[in-house]
Amino acid sequence: MNLMVVAFKDLKRVFRSPFALVMMFGAPLLIAGLLYFAFGGMMSGGGSFNLPTTRVAIANLDQPNPSEGTFKAGEMLIKFLKNEDLADMLKITMVPDEISAHSMVDQQQADVALIIPANFTQAAVAPEQTASVLLYQDPTLTIGPGIVKDLVNHFMDGFSGAKIAVKISESAIQKSDKQADPGLSEKTAKQYADYLGNSSHAEALHIVSPSGEAAQTESRSAMIGPIMAGMLVLFVFFMGANGAQSIIREQEDGTLARLFTTPASALTILGGKFVGVFIALIIQTVILLAASALIFHISWGKPLSVFLATLSLVIAATGFGVMLMSFIKSTSQTGPILGGVMTLTGMLGGLFSNGIPNIPEIMDKIALTMPQGWAMLAWKLSLAGNGAGTIILPILVLTILGILFFGIGLTLFRKRFI
Amino acid sequence: MRILYLAYKDLLQILQDWKSALFLLVMPLLFTLFFGFIFGGTLDSESDVDPRLPIGVVNRDDGNLAISLEKLLEDSEVIRPIILNDEQAAQADQMLDDGDLAAVVIIPNGYTTKLLADEPVLLDVIINQSQPAGQTVSRALETVTGRLLGAVEAAHISIENGSADSSSLQVGITEAISAWQEPALTVIIQKATGESQKNQQTNSSGGFAQASAGMMVQFSIFGLITSAMVLVLERKSRTLQRLLSSPMQKAEVIAGHILAMFLVIFAQQLILVLLGQFGFGVDYFRQPLAILLMITVLALWAASLGLLISAISRKEDQVITLSLISMFVFAAMGGAWFPLEIAGKAFATIGHLMPTAWAMDGFQNILMRGLGFESVLMPAAILFGYGLAFFGLAIWRFRFE
Repeated sequence: MNLMVVAFKDLKRVFRSPFALVMMFGAPLLIAGLLYFAFGGMMSGGGSFNLPTTRVAIANLDQPNPSEGTFKAGEMLIKFLKNEDLADMLKITMVPDEISAHSMVDQQQADVALIIPANFTQAAVAPEQTASVLLYQDPTLTIGPGIVKDLVNHFMDGFSGAKIAVKISESAIQKSDKQADPGLSEKTAKQYADYLGNSSHAEALHIVSPSGEAAQTESRSAMIGPIMAGMLVLFVFFMGANGAQSIIREQEDGTLARLFTTPASALTILGGKFVGVFIALIIQTVILLAASALIFHISWGKPLSVFLATLSLVIAATGFGVMLMSFIKSTSQTGPILGGVMTLTGMLGGLFSNGIPNIPEIMDKIALTMPQGWAMLAWKLSLAGNGAGTIILPILVLTILGILFFGIGLTLFRKRFI
Repeated sequence: MRILYLAYKDLLQILQDWKSALFLLVMPLLFTLFFGFIFGGTLDSESDVDPRLPIGVVNRDDGNLAISLEKLLEDSEVIRPIILNDEQAAQADQMLDDGDLAAVVIIPNGYTTKLLADEPVLLDVIINQSQPAGQTVSRALETVTGRLLGAVEAAHISIENGSADSSSLQVGITEAISAWQEPALTVIIQKATGESQKNQQTNSSGGFAQASAGMMVQFSIFGLITSAMVLVLERKSRTLQRLLSSPMQKAEVIAGHILAMFLVIFAQQLILVLLGQFGFGVDYFRQPLAILLMITVLALWAASLGLLISAISRKEDQVITLSLISMFVFAAMGGAWFPLEIAGKAFATIGHLMPTAWAMDGFQNILMRGLGFESVLMPAAILFGYGLAFFGLAIWRFRFE
């Protein structure tokens, strides 16, 4: 019996176990798929942003003075929000008063209530008047109310800007010796309105995606890549430890003792088991990389970077798994220790927080105290298209850690069995 | 009485296994702490952390309007400008990839000159618009640039109308930019606080309220591993068949087992509520009866799911696999990991059909929306309905041998 025979036997056992297959391939792809569906689905086929429609209850309390003629700023705001271009984003319901608007949000019949104050029109035109529109929102929501706020602000900036233009003109007249024109305010406001009508704020920006003029699928890939990398690292480390527990299981079943009676040395048997884990993890990683590239269109990076990141991940995960199992005495301990340690180290290693914005900076530092954090760093650098020279540090750290863990595990197993 | 004996036996079996404590309590606590900490930094308005989205600004212009633009960006309620030096600017792409920045704005050389001369000039913005943060930053930048261009236009108009001469252009722009600090029309945000506002109580902090409720829902399913395992092991060792030779009816056997599952999950939820209240400052006690109703129906539904898993599993591995898959699907799609609002339309619509989404709704009505007891009646009724449906499925599939 040689080393590869032992390894092949363990491999067969792993790939015949439905549980192992689910944990190797099903779970990481399922979780990444769910997140891809959740967030990747926000970009519709046409490239427009596809968030859930925000339900807005509007109470228009605006009471324009008769002196302001037909100009009604409140009604203009409502007309703007009811614009058919916004129909997919906003569902508007008119209510008679503020209490009804609040009530609709409290009863979850609306996401946002918009209360247009009584002096809205006056504040839009009169020099020193100000007004505030109240946006009463469901506290569990952030994006929908944010969109409504942006739209309302965008609309109101037109009036505020016109008033500022009038103020600047009047201020300039006051500073000069010129005679004030009685129609200056009206004329300036009209000029500013014409300017707004002929310009678009969006035209002041030249927006490109982080990867340059990337196609939509590349944007999705940029989003799902780190999430899938997190799942890859988590479940490869999990399977590293799960594979290494075959030593404990065989010891309990009594088959390990029988193996030691064969001509194969104990070192060959243990070595075969570790090689089995190593090969299983290589297969798992390669299949996950290929499947995610096909399903989610993830571009994992340059071939050499991907190769090095894969190799160092598998070395670290095998070493970590062997070391972890070397501390365990029976299979009844393996489940909880495996679940507990992998969850904790994965959490601290930053595997569950990919894609979450504004994470406290300390989390990045904590992540690098865990092998999973270094593995994640290697994959992030590879996903960003970096060459081997850039990702060499995390690769080296992972490899050294893997060898160190493996050495500790092997020493403890040898003490126990040899 | 025999039902109680059987449930008691199951409870002893479950609680004597130290793994139960890990799956039922330790892991949900760790996850709550972790996600609460992460989301607390971004969602909690009481936090010292600046919640605005960080954007890098690379200023390649030496004119006044570039400085004015930086000032307007600093005044934004949505974005927080970080001025990048040459060395940092070279790493801007990496900072975007790492999530350290939500966008990078590059003010090109000659920006001021071209704007003043009324020539077309664009700000280069590197941003991922496929993400909500990218869309938010994009809209905030449109507002800021709109105000800057408006200020320039206001100054131009004053000259055009003869109110000022061309040498006063910069003075007009400076005044207009200052005026934008207090625009005539503004938006005030008020978060709905329902009953809690009337009672002068504050709502729970956003980060932990989402994480605590979410992890309670998620781990009510994960905790089924040990509970459902008991039934599968009994079937495997033919204990279930032997039970039928006793005076116990089939219905009593099933009732005893599901009662044990219910009690385990109910106790788990109760402990997690107490830890959430005293450990994480989540105000479950604001409406104790409503919370009690929610954890009761959640435990009923989870126990029915546990019975279904044990009914269709033949081996221990299958229990673990089915419990994990159920947890991933129900927790992610039901909004236990992240609010469904931030997901796409199709995902949010399907997600709202999940029983876990109704459980989250019930908890959030109390914890975040500050509503009263009546607000959980609908979520509780729907969750109870799901419990009955899952129970029916479990009974249909249940085999004693």
